[in-house]
Order: sequence, then C-alpha cells, then structure tokens
Amino acid sequence: MSEQILEQVSAFLDGELPNSETELLLKRLTRGGGLRESFGRYALIGEAIRGASPGLLTKGFADRVNLAIDGEPLAAANVRASLGGAPRWWRPVAGVAVAAGVAAVAVFALQQRAVAPGLRPVLAVTAQTAAVPVPALGAAQPAREAISYTVPAASPAGPSAIPPARLTNYVFAHSRYSSGLDQRGVMADLLIEAEEQQPAASEAAAHVAP
Amino acid sequence: MTLPVRKRSHWLIPCAVAGALLIVLPQRSRGADDPREWLQKMNQALATRNYDGTFFHLSEGRVETMRIVHRVRGGRTTERLQSLDGSGREFVRNNEELTCYLPDQHTVLVEPRPEHGPFLGSLPQFGADVDQFYRIDSLPSTRVLGRPARVIAVNPKDQFRFGYRLWLDEKTAMPLKTQLCDSRGQVIEQIFFARLDMPETIPDSDLAPSVRTEGMRWVRQGPSRDSASPALSAYRASELPPGFHLTVAGAQTIGGATVPASHLVYSDGLATVSVFVEAPRPSAAGADTGPSAESEPPMQGLARVGSGFAFSTIVQGHQVTAVGEVPAQTVEFIAHSVKSSGSAELPRP
Repeated sequence: MSEQILEQVSAFLDGELPNSETELLLKRLTRGGGLRESFGRYALIGEAIRGASPGLLTKGFADRVNLAIDGEPLAAANVRASLGGAPRWWRPVAGVAVAAGVAAVAVFALQQRAVAPGLRPVLAVTAQTAAVPVPALGAAQPAREAISYTVPAASPAGPSAIPPARLTNYVFAHSRYSSGLDQRGVMADLLIEAEEQQPAASEAAAHVAP
Repeated sequence: MTLPVRKRSHWLIPCAVAGALLIVLPQRSRGADDPREWLQKMNQALATRNYDGTFFHLSEGRVETMRIVHRVRGGRTTERLQSLDGSGREFVRNNEELTCYLPDQHTVLVEPRPEHGPFLGSLPQFGADVDQFYRIDSLPSTRVLGRPARVIAVNPKDQFRFGYRLWLDEKTAMPLKTQLCDSRGQVIEQIFFARLDMPETIPDSDLAPSVRTEGMRWVRQGPSRDSASPALSAYRASELPPGFHLTVAGAQTIGGATVPASHLVYSDGLATVSVFVEAPRPSAAGADTGPSAESEPPMQGLARVGSGFAFSTIVQGHQVTAVGEVPAQTVEFIAHSVKSSGSAELPRP
C-alpha cells in the first residue's frame, strides 16, 4: 500500500479528505481486500489514539506513540502539520512494526476484551498492560471529543447453535420490528452474513414469481 | 444550636446557587442543545429526506462498504441497501414489501411490509420510558465528513441492552456516523458515511437492484394470514429484563416452514427482541413421508448475528428462538423464560 493511499485513509478518518479524493479512496477500498483490511486496522488504532480520554492516555503517551511512529514528538509534529507537512498519527510505512505494537497498547488498554482473529497478532504484544479501566459511555469526559474507537466484538465460544440459513430467516423476520436505530445495523449484518451459508430457505417454501 | 451568621451564609450561598441551577438547567436542556430534540430531528430526517450515501460498516474487525439510497416521494418511501464488496447482496424495500437479493444463495426472499405497518413507525421515541433504562447525553461537538456534527450518547443503564453514539450533521440532523456500544461503552459496531448526498430527486434507476435474478429461487415469507396454532399462540415470556414488554404478538411464516410460527416482539422502547415459537419441523429427508416423518434436529444454544445474538432452546417440545440486537444474556434470559400459559397476554404499544 503506498504512502499516498495511507495519507488518504488517515485524512478520511480525520474528516479532512476532499470529496473528489474520497470517491477515489472508496473505489480503491471496494476493489482491494488488502486495503480494506488495513483500513479497518487503522480505523481501530487511529480512533483509539485520537479518542482516548486524558485519564487513559496521557500526552506523554501520545508523544511516545508519535515518536515510535515517525520519530518526532506530537508538538513538533503539530508544528509541521501547520506548515503543510501534515504528518498523521500513523505514518506507518517506516516503522510499522513498532508503531503497531505501541498503538496496540492503546487499543488494548482501552478495550480489555477479546478481539477478532485478524488483530490478534498485533494485540498479543500488549497482553501484560491490560490494567486501565474503561469509563462508562459518555461519562466523566465533559471537556473532550467523544471517545471514538472500534472494538471487534467477542464471538461466543463454539460453533453457532443455529444453522446460518435459518438464522438469516429469523433476522430477516425480526428486522421488520427492530427500531430505527437498530434497523440499519441489522440489515447491514444480513448483507454481510454471506460466508459459508446454505440456501436461506428450503425447497419446501412457497415459490413465487418475480 | 444556632450557627453564627457568617457560617450560616456559607451554607446559604451554595444552596442558593444549586437551587438556581436546578431551575435554570432543566430549561436550558430543553433548548437547542437538548439531545432528545436532536434525536427526534434525526428521526424526522431519516423518515422524510432523500439521501444517497456510501458508508463503512465495521464489526468484528471486518469492514464492509455499502451504499444506501433512500427516497421519499408522494408519501411513498423506497430504500435500497447494497453491499459494494463481499456478498453482493442487496435489499430493496418500499411501503409494501422488503426484497432481499441473495446472489450467493441464488435466492430472493420477499417479505410483505404493509403500508400501514411499522416501517416508518418503528423509529424510536425517546420518551420517559426510555429514560428509565438509558441515559441520553450531549457530548462535545466535532466534525465528520468535514461537517460540524452534534454528538449524542444513548447510554444503557444496565447490561441488558446496547447503547449508541450518534454523530448528527449540525445542519440536517442526519446521522453521519453511528456506533453501537455495550454497557461499558465499548464499541461493537460502527457505521460511518464516506459520502452522503441529499438530492432533491432520486431516479428510479438508482433504486433498482443490480442483481441479475435469472435462475434464482423466489421465496416469500412474512406475517401469516393464518394464525399460529392455539398451542403456539399460548406461549409468552414469563419473565423479562427490566423495561421490556410485549409489543406485538402475531403469526409469521419463516422461510422453509410449512406452518406459521408464533412471533412475539418485546421492546424497551429502543431495543427489540423477537421470539419465534415453532412446532418441530419435518426434516428435509422426511418431508414427503407424512406425519411420521423425522423432525429436524432441535437447536439449542447461542448464535451470533452481526452485533446481535440469537438463542434457541426447546420448551415443552417446541422450538423457541429469541433474536435481537441486544447482548447475549438478554436473548438467553427471554428465551429461557418462555412458557405456555392458558391466558395469552395482549401486546401494548
């Protein structure tokens, strides 16, 4: 992945990417699986760092992360940003391994929960640091931007007790009654619940003309 | 004992300030910054505006890119949700029905959604009932997509429900970004827009599915005109997590079934859980062999669906399945409490 694309991803996550470039990024994301995976990972790490409350991540910590990423502290980085150099929180190309490890500390400290298999190699580095409590949603953070980070949900242990096709049918029926807040998520979940599924309804169901 | 005047004044000043705040703050909170007002504005925007956007759906460490097109014209709402990568699935819904194109399964599922059904009515109302189980807060504003955004947190007060954080466009109240969170504030699902247009008009072509349906099986499921059998209709949850109550009791044909299931919906005002009570299904192999055919093996246990859960168990020989965008323990709690009772409780709105 080129540095230019990473710059775009970062700018997008900061809400600073111009519309024309956003379109281009979207096209790239829908084309390339690798970029999409990286995007998810950067979203996770970046939002954790940017959104952490002062009680969880000190300025010093942020500086250390920044230093690990691109060899300069936050203050200097901010000066460079104001001059148009725009270093972003990740700058992953040069020191990606270090950066991922340090950033993952933040993620792990914030989350303290199970992670998706794809992220385990990164987060495993930080297993001994999971001691920072997570505040209640929106509580005790009056002076800062809302905490904003993505946590892969823990999956229940063991195989699903309900066959995927039948599960799709239940969720499809349930979506009719889910509230406006839930509905988009429910529908989006249905859209992506395609892996390893059997036909959603058996031949016994009524066939109708299109 | 009488306090010296000086000390008494120390007592009086904070009391006076606190009293003034108590009077002023509630009035202020009902003003332009009232988060409930913003949530109602969001409801209004979602129901009445045209929009066409591309968003990312992040869940379980996966990112999916999706497009949504929503049109309101002459009181008729049409919406198309399309996966831009991965499954290629698409949903198209209007006031009459929801059609789910599943090219990966060579299947099209169709479910009637009557015009006066809960399609738009299902938008949540943030009234007093909701206050008992959620805390609604305004968080400091920020920018999303380069636009000023109002941030609202809907915090669950216990572990039986999820919460939300919503980044609402300051100008239109459209949700530019939403997060589903657990009771500890940890994000379990996130949707954020990369592009969101709100055009005056949307052509029909933007709402037409791109999936080619030749050779696909069309399957209709949905609310049944026939009632569920009296035996199934007698089932209700005997115990519920705080705040949940029965809102719908009906019959539903689930794809693949030959007889309608009893479909119960429980809600706390925001979160909803569906409970399906079904007679044992004949197995596919024995479907043609009459009443003595073997039944499908019973389902027992938990399944994850996106950020929600389903839990299935057997109660008095019937398959009981609870599904919802709620924590696992909530569907488990409800499913385990389902029992057949002589007098069926009626739903309340």
